[in-house]
Amino acid sequence: MKHKLLHTLAVIMILSMILGACATPTTEAPKPTAAPAQPTAAAPKPTAAPASKYKEAPQLAELVKAGKLPPVDQRLPENPAVVDAAEIGNYGGVWRRGTLGPSDYNGVNRVIDDALVIFSPDGASTVMKYAESVTPSADYTSWTLKLRKGSKWSNGDPFTTDDIMFWYKDVLQNKDLSPTLPPWVQNKDKSLVDIKQVDAVTTVWTYKDVHTTFLMELANAEYGDKNVPCFLPSKFLKQFHISYAKKEDLDKMVADAKFKTWTELFLLKISPFDTPERPGMAAWVAAPGSRISDQIFKLVRNPYFVGVDKAGNQLPYFDEVQLKFFADANALNLSAIAGELDQQERQIQLANYPVLKETSQKTGKYNIFLWTSLGGADADVTFNQTYTKDPDLGKLLANKDFRIALSHAINRKQIQDSFFLGTGEIRQPVAKKGHPYYPGDEYAFKYTEYNATLANQMLDKLGIDKKGADGYRLYANGKKVTLELSSANVLASSPDVAQLIVKDWQKVGIDAKVQIRERALHFSLRESNDLQAEIWNQDTAGFPFTGSTKYDVRSGIYGNTTYGPLWYNWYRTNGKEGVEPPAYIKEMVALIDHAKTVGPADQAKDAQQIFKLWVDNMVEIGTVGLTAIDQGVVVVNAKMKNVPPNLTKDWPLRTPGNGRPETWFYVP
Amino acid sequence: MLRFIVQRLLILPVLLILFSMIVFWLVDAPPGDYLTSYISNLAAGGSSIRGEQVEALRKQFGLDEPGYIRYLYWVQRLLQGDLGYSLEYLRPNADLIGERLVLTILLALFAFIITWIVAIPAGIYSATHQNSLLDYVFALLNYVGVATPNFMLALILMWFAFAYFGIGITGLFSPEFEQAPWSVARFIDLLKHIWVPGIVLGIAGTARLMRVMRANLLDELNKPYVVTARAKGMSEWALVIKYPVRLAFNPLVSTIGWYLPQLFSGSLIVATVMNLPNIGPLLLRALIQQDMYLAGSILLIYCLLTILGTLISDILLALLDPRIRMEES
Repeated sequence: MKHKLLHTLAVIMILSMILGACATPTTEAPKPTAAPAQPTAAAPKPTAAPASKYKEAPQLAELVKAGKLPPVDQRLPENPAVVDAAEIGNYGGVWRRGTLGPSDYNGVNRVIDDALVIFSPDGASTVMKYAESVTPSADYTSWTLKLRKGSKWSNGDPFTTDDIMFWYKDVLQNKDLSPTLPPWVQNKDKSLVDIKQVDAVTTVWTYKDVHTTFLMELANAEYGDKNVPCFLPSKFLKQFHISYAKKEDLDKMVADAKFKTWTELFLLKISPFDTPERPGMAAWVAAPGSRISDQIFKLVRNPYFVGVDKAGNQLPYFDEVQLKFFADANALNLSAIAGELDQQERQIQLANYPVLKETSQKTGKYNIFLWTSLGGADADVTFNQTYTKDPDLGKLLANKDFRIALSHAINRKQIQDSFFLGTGEIRQPVAKKGHPYYPGDEYAFKYTEYNATLANQMLDKLGIDKKGADGYRLYANGKKVTLELSSANVLASSPDVAQLIVKDWQKVGIDAKVQIRERALHFSLRESNDLQAEIWNQDTAGFPFTGSTKYDVRSGIYGNTTYGPLWYNWYRTNGKEGVEPPAYIKEMVALIDHAKTVGPADQAKDAQQIFKLWVDNMVEIGTVGLTAIDQGVVVVNAKMKNVPPNLTKDWPLRTPGNGRPETWFYVP
Repeated sequence: MLRFIVQRLLILPVLLILFSMIVFWLVDAPPGDYLTSYISNLAAGGSSIRGEQVEALRKQFGLDEPGYIRYLYWVQRLLQGDLGYSLEYLRPNADLIGERLVLTILLALFAFIITWIVAIPAGIYSATHQNSLLDYVFALLNYVGVATPNFMLALILMWFAFAYFGIGITGLFSPEFEQAPWSVARFIDLLKHIWVPGIVLGIAGTARLMRVMRANLLDELNKPYVVTARAKGMSEWALVIKYPVRLAFNPLVSTIGWYLPQLFSGSLIVATVMNLPNIGPLLLRALIQQDMYLAGSILLIYCLLTILGTLISDILLALLDPRIRMEES
């Protein structure tokens, strides 16, 4: 009897286990979420307020009715920013996006594109955002920056030149807050630019030298890379600044926040992502209490946003942006594939392009766009031309013909097909066709032809024509020619592409191998002149003069410049250390300096010349470029409109910010 | 017994100091620091940062100090009950751990309960019905359960749910409840979602526990006292439950304390794969990002719980089995 009882029990148990396992996905898993994708409100209707010039979201109209918010005409500046978009949209809805958490904060900077001036969708020009106008003097030494009269921060505080002067006087010139000055506010003699406050909306920025890149620099003078933006909510921040706050109050706040100094507290309070109460100017600002370290970082409509559409509807259309924190990029991709993210390009992997495309066709839930950059290459090889550890190899690496031969030895089509899934184009790392900086087809495709015979002939002429028993080339002294291609194992420095390249080089008799390194080690070897060759991408082709451009040997990104660490040292120490660079490097440096002093037409000529020198000397071997690998595979909810299908993407452009997300909307 | 507990508690501080050194050393051991991982993150996102900025940050975070100074600074804060500040999140570590604690423990308890409810009866059945058909079926399932890494199982379930039902089964809440404050509705929503990760996490443990229970019980069932009891006419059910099962529990109870750190750790890989908002992914990220004080704090708590867990096991064992009580030895 007891036996039977146990028996039955066990059977029931195992049945329920099996049933449970089978039934689980259907009954217990989260239901597909259709709700957030649907707009919550109908088309914008004229608000109740009489004779209003502008229209607003129903959400805000209710607050106005309840007396909790001033009418829209009083919230907008006298001359709002009219944002061009394909269609006039509807208010409402939530834009769901994914992030990898606090360290992925630049993903949020790209969404809000929180700057006085921003880049156009094609990246070729700048557009006024919070600023009304920025005009240079005839000689490009001084710039007059005008704000929009009557514009306000998200809490209703007036946005005036006080907010720029607070940054200029109390932050930039405070040694504790700004131990070093960003290059764009410096004159050539390292002194600070002079900023004069003319009235509540006008400031005049005067440089000692000609300064033509001001607009591009202003477009990046926001919170990108956690730099201090050039305009700050001064009224809010003064309570945390030592020059304005009472010392005992400040000390208490610092202690309560468990900081050591007031500067740590101040820098935290500047952050729009960690301090929800900090007023902002962007289309969406952090919801009360919401922070980037939350599981979902919520941004809500800024009722004072300065932008309107062509029909006079205050932007943005979306009520809310929700950034979901994924612990892992693969989980984020899976969520995008399942259609749970409404628009996403950041962290989407090119490898998932086929499955995304297939699912999009099958379900119709979303569309897939491919956005491309301003040029450059998505995988390229740079040789260390000042390598000293092995003098034989050093001599080869410094020889232009060696680099050209190895360029011809690479089967780029194979790389394009297998790694980039056939997207993009085979090219050298220069600006893209159609861009004013494009040096012409002759340079864009120079030395890209796959020709192992030619490569072999060229190598034979370099005194490494003898081969050992294993088939690899030998130096005249009988030593084998070995070459190491270092990969930092990040997206931009792909070990997979490196493997393909190395195999091609082995075919022309170079005993090459890939060395995958932990990134910190890779950087430190770069700094100490110990790298032989490196695989990386070239993403600065659209901006060869500003930012940390790789075409400028003086940039020293992460410690040094791969193609000439000793040249970098030579410039850094004014010729005391390092090695004097060859003429073409000096010419490039001169061109970059010249470009900063001339207008756009002459800048384009300088850029073309830089690219010609870059390719002629084969400083960097480009493979495939203009692919979607870096934040270019775009998932867009099928109901979301106004998202540009062919946006130009780049970090200085803060893509998707240059695609004007405030004009995106859902159709019912 | 009391003396034993007091003795063990007295060693605790010594062990903790030792562990804090080892933890700090391990977390600090990889080349580079938080800032090198920070700048390579920026590099992967297309941006770059100036060398002076990096140096300023390094100073601000105190990462330019030598290791022992940073260790002492950390320990000094720990002694004041302060777990320090996360470099990545820019928030106190205690807050970060605290807000994930409830879900972490709930999920682990859920998996734990599934494990025990399924494994113990099944183990008993297998032992009492050795070599029966069901025993073999259980055995097969056990081997599959133990041999399948649970993150693999998670991936398979996720793929299955997506491919056949078009849904994602990541996370623990529906989107509308993700950020909501605790309420009955939110708890029900949690119960709807906790099944999949609960089963995934419980399955390997179930299989292992079932095998151990079966083996332990088999050892007991053939002992003379069982035969004697049976001969005296004791009912089989009461006999098995009252004597051999109780003894077979011993080895299991001795490991029950190990669940304490597991409750807290939140199963690193499964939680990361399934995007569960618990402590596992927090630790993994902190280690990858070299957010050393956060990683160090979590690991140290983990060590503390391991020590306490072992103590609890010892106490439980003594309660359950009179033979090993300290007083009588």
